[in-house]
Amino acid sequence: MYYGSITLRESKVSADSTLVPGHPSHSASYLGVRLDALRKNQNADGGWGYFPGKASWLEPTAYAALALTGDPAADRAWKLLSSWQLSDGSWKPSSEVSFSSWGTSLCATIAIARNEWGDPLRGGVNWLVGSSGIESNWFNIVVSRIGLVKQERNIALKAWPWKPGNSGWVEPTVHALVALKQASAQLATRDLRDRIRQGEAQLMDVRSRDGGWNYGSPAALGVDLPSYPETTALALLALQGRSDLGKAFDLAQQQIGETPSPLARAWLTIAMRLHGIQPPELTGPPPSDLMITAVEALAAPEGHHHLMQTGAVA
Amino acid sequence: MTNTNRREFLALAGAASVAGFAGFSGGRQMQPETNSKLPLAGQTSPVAVVKASSYSVDLADAMMRGILECGLEVAGKTVLLKPNFVEFDPSTCINTDVAVVATALEVFRSLGAADVKIGEGPGHRRDTFAIAELTRYRSEIPQFDDVFIDLNRDDVSPIENFADRKTFYFPNSVLSADLIVSLAKMKTHHWAGATLSMKNFFGLVPGSIYGWPKNELHYIGINNSILELTRLFGAKSFALVDGIVGMEGNGPIQGTPKKAGVLVMGSDLAAVDATCCRIMGIDPTRVEYLQKAADRLGVIDPARIEQRGEPIAGLRTNFELIKEYSQLRLA
Repeated sequence: MYYGSITLRESKVSADSTLVPGHPSHSASYLGVRLDALRKNQNADGGWGYFPGKASWLEPTAYAALALTGDPAADRAWKLLSSWQLSDGSWKPSSEVSFSSWGTSLCATIAIARNEWGDPLRGGVNWLVGSSGIESNWFNIVVSRIGLVKQERNIALKAWPWKPGNSGWVEPTVHALVALKQASAQLATRDLRDRIRQGEAQLMDVRSRDGGWNYGSPAALGVDLPSYPETTALALLALQGRSDLGKAFDLAQQQIGETPSPLARAWLTIAMRLHGIQPPELTGPPPSDLMITAVEALAAPEGHHHLMQTGAVA
Repeated sequence: MTNTNRREFLALAGAASVAGFAGFSGGRQMQPETNSKLPLAGQTSPVAVVKASSYSVDLADAMMRGILECGLEVAGKTVLLKPNFVEFDPSTCINTDVAVVATALEVFRSLGAADVKIGEGPGHRRDTFAIAELTRYRSEIPQFDDVFIDLNRDDVSPIENFADRKTFYFPNSVLSADLIVSLAKMKTHHWAGATLSMKNFFGLVPGSIYGWPKNELHYIGINNSILELTRLFGAKSFALVDGIVGMEGNGPIQGTPKKAGVLVMGSDLAAVDATCCRIMGIDPTRVEYLQKAADRLGVIDPARIEQRGEPIAGLRTNFELIKEYSQLRLA
């Protein structure tokens, strides 16, 4: 096992081969190599698959579009993503899949990054404000309050699900909070602010005893469950501006040195940067995993991680 | 068995497979055209139980004997090995051991498979390759990255009617495989009683659509989802359960290691899982999904399971059960 520099997942895309002479980002830098790898592997439809040669999905496309903000490749990606917005304002996760997804949050963040505050963003934000985990419906809350079912988390606090009809979990909640906090700069409503407050409270409620977060269950059958580095990082992303997270930063510092996951390291790096903490240097070639390549590009010192900056929301 | 002998054995076995097991008269053949592994009236499902005292013994020989006992045809097929690495915790044994996965890769190749891939969609963690690193799959399985498919993030296609869902999506690698080998871990499960070859199919469901965890399956119902996954994929599947060291108590994540010293194999997943239960001291007729699978998706009645290899009577070792499942104990 290795710790420190990224040696996992040797890139199938040679760093040298991805460089395009004369291209504005022609650079052997950590960021430049990743952006070039993304450009090289953009699908003809404007999106990215999770891996080279695979069909486009919202998630890798959204991260790549954020990483490449300002680049024509990002415009092509946004054009594709825009075509995936459904009539209810939400976004579907790929051309193949027909229902709404958590990725709506990522598209809202892209729209804000592009300073496009029109109807597509408003539709997405409205959908997010109205979306919550099914565990928080009134029936479940009543059943819980009268003690018929013992819940291991406070289901009155609404979180966001991966897809409608499911429970709320940490990762979709994080991205919804980032999007809604950013949107609150111009689209603030009482409902939106209330969802932000509840979402933050919900994240704090599902914090693991070790100070971090896992997918969203701090315990099962009364037994504590440990946190994960990637979800701890994401929760910190959503909780920008809070002053009661000290133990989580200690944990994040420990996790970034121990995790074998380049994805976790990239998210931890982004979270630390957005909280004003200097992370360890990221090094190594880009992975063949395009989603991780994009998140790593966002995490680079000169990367676009600031597009996930939210600050506190009153 | 020496390494040389082992290689010779694998080569011979591979040749036998290509020849369609000429002369082998036992066992039921794969029936990919149907959704059922139910043997016809009066017939039985073969289940092979092979002793393996540790991961250091000749697993290829053990595996090959079990596969041959069950009459599985592999030649020319595209094979997807589906281990269980839902999570990782170095203090216990959540995952199908790397030695079992590495050996299965070698064995199925030697049996003449057209292609053998390993695929898994972990239920809790986003970075599948990092879990594969922690479980030593990446370091100990040659060219792991070239043979592995992250089922959480594969391209997908829809199928109609999965439980009450009109449409449900599955990875193309799963849908296109000729043979899925459920390389499950023998574990207790705090929601289902036991997790074996059928429950292992939860990892076929793509996280890119259904999330981490795959909460959709919980709303469909764990038992119902197990049955539906088996209905869809059981007919083109083979079970190979790693019971060399299983997990007892608060499985599938937080239990403790329990040595059972066996590999359990067969094409009838319900029959294999029922046999595993009996080895674990669990009454399969009290495990809801097995009870419901009985005589619909496979058989669990010992009278309809043709036991091959080791008789299970001497192999029973009671797995500790959490109090919520104490009623599952086999009399």
